[in-house]
Amino acid sequence: MTLFSTDHKVIGKQYIGLALFSVFLGMLLSLVMRFHLVHPDTKVRLFQMLWPEGAPGGQMTPELYLSLMTMHGTIMVFFVLTTAPQSGFGNYFLPLQIGAHDMAFPVLNMLSFWTTALSLGTLLLAFVVEGGAPLSGWTAYPPLSGLGKITGPGQGLGQDLWILSIALFCVASLMGAINIIVTVIELRAPGMGYFDMPLTCWGWFVTALISLFAFAVLLPGGVLLLLDRVAGTSFFIPGGLIVNDQVQGRSGGSPLLFQHLFWFFGHPEVYIAILPGMGVISTVLSVFSGKKVFGYKAMTVAMLAIGGLGFVVWGHHMFISGMSPYSSIAFSVLTMAVGVPSAVKTFNWLATLWGGRLRFTAAMHYALGFVSLFITGGITGLVLGQPGLDIYFHDTYFVVAHFHLIMGVAAVFAIWAALHYWFPKMYGRFLNERLGKIHFFLTFVGVYAVFVPLHFAGFVGNPRRYPDFKEYEFLKSVTGLHMGVTHAAYFLAAVQLIFLFNYFWSKRRGAVAPGNPWGATTREWTDD
Amino acid sequence: MAIAILIAALAGATLALFFQPRWWFPEAISAHARAYDAHFLVTLCVIGCIFVFAQGLLAWVIFRYRDRGQAVTGSDGNNTLEIAWTSATAVIFLGLALAGQGIWAGVHLEGSDPRALKVEVLAKQFAWSYRYAGADGAFGRVDVKQIDDAGGNSFGIDAKDPKGKDDLTAAVLRVPVGRPVELHLKSRDVIHNFFVRELRLKQDVVPGMTIPLRFTATKTGTYEVPCSELCGLGHHQMRSSLVVMTEEDYAAWLAEAQQKVVLP
Amino acid sequence: MTNVSRTGQTLLVVASSMLFAAVTSAMVVRRGIGGDWVAPELPVWVWATAVLGPLASWLILRGWLRGAVIAGALLVGLQVLVLAELRMGVIGEAFLSVLVAAHALHAAAGVAALARWGERAGLFWHFVGALWIYVLFLFGVWA
Repeated sequence: MTLFSTDHKVIGKQYIGLALFSVFLGMLLSLVMRFHLVHPDTKVRLFQMLWPEGAPGGQMTPELYLSLMTMHGTIMVFFVLTTAPQSGFGNYFLPLQIGAHDMAFPVLNMLSFWTTALSLGTLLLAFVVEGGAPLSGWTAYPPLSGLGKITGPGQGLGQDLWILSIALFCVASLMGAINIIVTVIELRAPGMGYFDMPLTCWGWFVTALISLFAFAVLLPGGVLLLLDRVAGTSFFIPGGLIVNDQVQGRSGGSPLLFQHLFWFFGHPEVYIAILPGMGVISTVLSVFSGKKVFGYKAMTVAMLAIGGLGFVVWGHHMFISGMSPYSSIAFSVLTMAVGVPSAVKTFNWLATLWGGRLRFTAAMHYALGFVSLFITGGITGLVLGQPGLDIYFHDTYFVVAHFHLIMGVAAVFAIWAALHYWFPKMYGRFLNERLGKIHFFLTFVGVYAVFVPLHFAGFVGNPRRYPDFKEYEFLKSVTGLHMGVTHAAYFLAAVQLIFLFNYFWSKRRGAVAPGNPWGATTREWTDD
Repeated sequence: MAIAILIAALAGATLALFFQPRWWFPEAISAHARAYDAHFLVTLCVIGCIFVFAQGLLAWVIFRYRDRGQAVTGSDGNNTLEIAWTSATAVIFLGLALAGQGIWAGVHLEGSDPRALKVEVLAKQFAWSYRYAGADGAFGRVDVKQIDDAGGNSFGIDAKDPKGKDDLTAAVLRVPVGRPVELHLKSRDVIHNFFVRELRLKQDVVPGMTIPLRFTATKTGTYEVPCSELCGLGHHQMRSSLVVMTEEDYAAWLAEAQQKVVLP
Repeated sequence: MTNVSRTGQTLLVVASSMLFAAVTSAMVVRRGIGGDWVAPELPVWVWATAVLGPLASWLILRGWLRGAVIAGALLVGLQVLVLAELRMGVIGEAFLSVLVAAHALHAAAGVAALARWGERAGLFWHFVGALWIYVLFLFGVWA
């Protein structure tokens, strides 16, 4: 039965399919949000049909907006950015590139995928239970997330399901990480040393190492939060709270403790999303420059440095949380330090192109676009990494712009590069090159048009996670800006249909590909 | 080829947006805010240079090495280069990190000023209240059982404590210009965030903690205070104001408000 | 034991250690700031369960798997008894509950693995036995 196949190629495709479903769902949610931000008083019958309680008479409530935001973030971070680059392409190509027959534990691999699918199902269930999906964001800070429905609609069963879904996801990711690490350590072809592996394998390997440590911390964090909700414990809930005029009988818990546990996972998660992409980009740039990757050793060291330093910078998410101001200084210096290996990678990519003969295939377009987006999204980290400057920008649209560019869009460009590059291997056919390039150009313009202006909403001080901006005098100045961004978002979403069409059409009708269409030298193309 | 032009164009457009005056910081109304803006400008210049250099180089390399049937010439590694750009970026990034510590220290590491006007800030879903110590300069004891939002006692000031008799509560934060202010931020339910754009100050308000926040406003006016940490369905409406007044106006307001203090 | 199996179990040990380290550090922090910490009191017989892990390990090495499985299952059963006594409303006991429950899940998995794969799952079981001593040590000495 192929549904429960233990073949790494099938499982890889299953992960990619799950991510494809999730990314379009997450994108649709963001469109509804962007619409509501600029038309907060418009009644839409479709909203009423979809969410009878959340949008009575078609008028979206603030709690519905916030629940869509929570689900958008959760779906995109976990079910797109964590699954496709690592579990999807990693599963399919890691064994092929190191000359292994399959992953080290095929049954465990199958279980990882189905646990992930169960996790997604659990999350989506939150939409239809009483009170709807949670409104506490993908970060789920207690006490907002820790006290049940008294803190707001969606904070009842919806939040429970959310935590359960994350816990399942942690388990699935831990199983997947162990599988990938063992495969790399034990199943490399005879004679293949660690430093003979393509950089893609390094990306998956380091990412799996990060996952192993990060998800092992998020899992107990989620369990403790769940216990605060259902068992009346006080891990994160302080004493003397009065919520909605009701005294809460808890004592001594620390909301900051949850933030520490969460961000100990949450920051490395950023690298979980981007490192596999970095590997793919290195490969694609090298193949279509006709050159080897520049500074292979430096690239692997940079990945390891990013993975290691990534675990000691989590406090930069908490500069204004009320934690010790002295620790902010330490976290700040380490955060700026983790920027160095990222910059080193960028220089090495440029040097890879230098002196080459560049073939502008669709995959190469996405890879070059990735480098540009990585620069644009990365340098604003030099602002946010300084606690002094973060004071103003924290929780504004500047942060939204920063992480969407570097973590969201850049990683998705890497996925597109990977898809165009490996589609011939996966399906024996090419993705249509012309459609791919058209899609690239429109999307590239679209993401700049959506996310660059949002920085300026941040300059104005526009807080994120607001369902509308009607309450504030100073936010009147960003009305036009948000209108422009929303229209750019419509455009960006619309052009994704080109990709969707290309994907499904090429699978059946695309031009038949020869064995090694790009003239690559890695084993997935050269081995039979 | 087209992609080189597009990268250059998008980078140029991005850069151009930084020269428009429409969406920018609001006016700075404290010494800290001015120091903030100055250091931000330094950071912006540095990252702007990196941005132009990196995007420009990317576009140029794409243009220069497009496939014209030329031979591949470039190398695949150079340790001197690696060391050079690693140390260069390390110096720039860590230099920025160190240069920026001054503004952080100015807000969070300076001790309490004995002359400071102390105001307690209480956040709850979805409103702010402020408490002044009154003529005796001392805050009265609080007792959660005596909290009465409708009766005007959001803080739960204990009626039995004489120090609390003259405590003054308000929905708007009023402070005199030029005088140091020390806020003590508290939350009753979930995490909120106190943000005054013009002061370049933002601080989470965490239940179970009392977090100090110090500033000295140097310009009179009314400034909006938006809640900036997701606190529930009314987060976007949890609005308050900071009114910076002249010493005389402040004294007059205080005297008038003090007369109206009636505790339950 | 194959290399794949040994490496896999080693990584499982790393992940589980990380998980217990996370709960431990949360407990250290929570104990330090809460002001409501009371060290949980365990019945004396619980300390005796510390021998069950090493006992099972010894039995595995001696080749008597059935005995090891019985010792492991006994440990899980006794842990459930401990759990029934703990109150979630008291923070020290809540942390202990989390650690005991997490350990019981590990021990149950370890027993199942021993029953299924025999001595090849020994590495994981040795870790589980040591981990239980760690949990008891944490509460007996430190808390």
